[in-house]
Amino acid sequence: MIIEIAAEGGVGGTATSALHKRIDVDQQAEPIRQELCEAFEPEELARLAGSPRARGADRLTYRITVTDHQQKSQIFSIREDQLPPQMLDLIDQM
Amino acid sequence: MCFSLTCSTHHPINCIIPPYMLKVMALRGDEKTAQMARTLLKQTEKLREERAEHNSPTPPPAAERGVFVSRAVTEAGSLCCPERRIHDGEFKAALPGKLIRSEGDPATGDADADLAYDGAGEVFGLFAEEYGRNSLDGAGMPLVATVRHRRNYNNAFWDGTQMAYGTGDGKLFQTFLELSVIGHEMAHGVIQHSGGLIYENQSGALNESIADVFGSLALQRSLGQQVHEADWLVGRGILGPGINGVALRSMKAPGTAYSDDLLGQDPQPWHMDHFVTTTDDNGGVHINSGIPNHAFYLFCNYIGGKSWDLPGRVWYRALQNLNNPMATFADWADQTMDAVIELTGMGSIETQMLRRTWKLVGISI
Repeated sequence: MIIEIAAEGGVGGTATSALHKRIDVDQQAEPIRQELCEAFEPEELARLAGSPRARGADRLTYRITVTDHQQKSQIFSIREDQLPPQMLDLIDQM
Repeated sequence: MCFSLTCSTHHPINCIIPPYMLKVMALRGDEKTAQMARTLLKQTEKLREERAEHNSPTPPPAAERGVFVSRAVTEAGSLCCPERRIHDGEFKAALPGKLIRSEGDPATGDADADLAYDGAGEVFGLFAEEYGRNSLDGAGMPLVATVRHRRNYNNAFWDGTQMAYGTGDGKLFQTFLELSVIGHEMAHGVIQHSGGLIYENQSGALNESIADVFGSLALQRSLGQQVHEADWLVGRGILGPGINGVALRSMKAPGTAYSDDLLGQDPQPWHMDHFVTTTDDNGGVHINSGIPNHAFYLFCNYIGGKSWDLPGRVWYRALQNLNNPMATFADWADQTMDAVIELTGMGSIETQMLRRTWKLVGISI
């Protein structure tokens, strides 16, 4: 499984306010691999993308692409405030 | 409360409330109401796709405007001091983090914490001493900020209740603790508590522009600058050392703040002829804000002196009287005209200058 993350928005309004990240989950060590698989499960991402957005301004929007072993890609647009802190920390570690 | 989550039963409230009103409720309602409004909005979006349904926003009648003025101007006796609380995010995403400096505490020696603390004080002072506003909500709410939010985080934001500042990754950005940025984020709080501006398209760009205006005013006031002495940059010095640029935005010359391989080209227009239509960035809220930003800059230059004096008062008064979360640039221009007339009189030179200003950026009033 491949996970790609791009970000846009933020106080600068730019598409490069955060790093573009790409990670091959299968290449990761076991504890991290399992954590990534669970966090970036497409059903979970779809649920988060549909969750209510909070108030505020200048938040980032993440475009998360998950490509499975059959090379099928799913893309999710999720605002920063729709992601739980633990998942944001995971993104920062990637 | 009788909100229904489906239209299948033709619930009178669910089916009657138009999307723009739901957006206002999501923006202004208490948590429970806002949550219901957001849920209904999502369903309305689905219905709209099916029926191509669209309702035009209608501003409230003139008689209902100005409702925020009474809260915005605090009686002198009750306006005193900020209540600052600075937290350390410890490079994690959970907010607010560990409290490291409270109101009245001496400087910590932690540069980020002290910059956030001092900056919050400057911005509080601008709104309190110049416009009679007691904190972001007009009622003395604590100023909560988190520094070192997340790791290598290239952003600062207002989350609806507090400010958060990343450190930057050292490459694209090297800090976000700069006074115009601090003022920008805090001004989002003032806007939210002044009736709000929905964060998309023109109303979102106005939200961004007004935040830039008061961020810039906080910086100019702290430096004691006259209009002609200011650089009119938002976020000067926060870009990484290798970035070809000077700031996030320029109010004096929108579109010229940076031009860099990594960061791209500053996309801001200064005239309606170059208005950018896009779905990115919530409909270009950080892009088209260049137009009203430049109008404010021009007005200040026509008037001269200190920009936080009359120009700042006009913008602040207009914000308190607007009461239209879906305002367009033209609505905002009208509101600033009303404000300048109220402050300087019909036919004053300031009124004429403001009309000329809006015309110069392509907005006729």
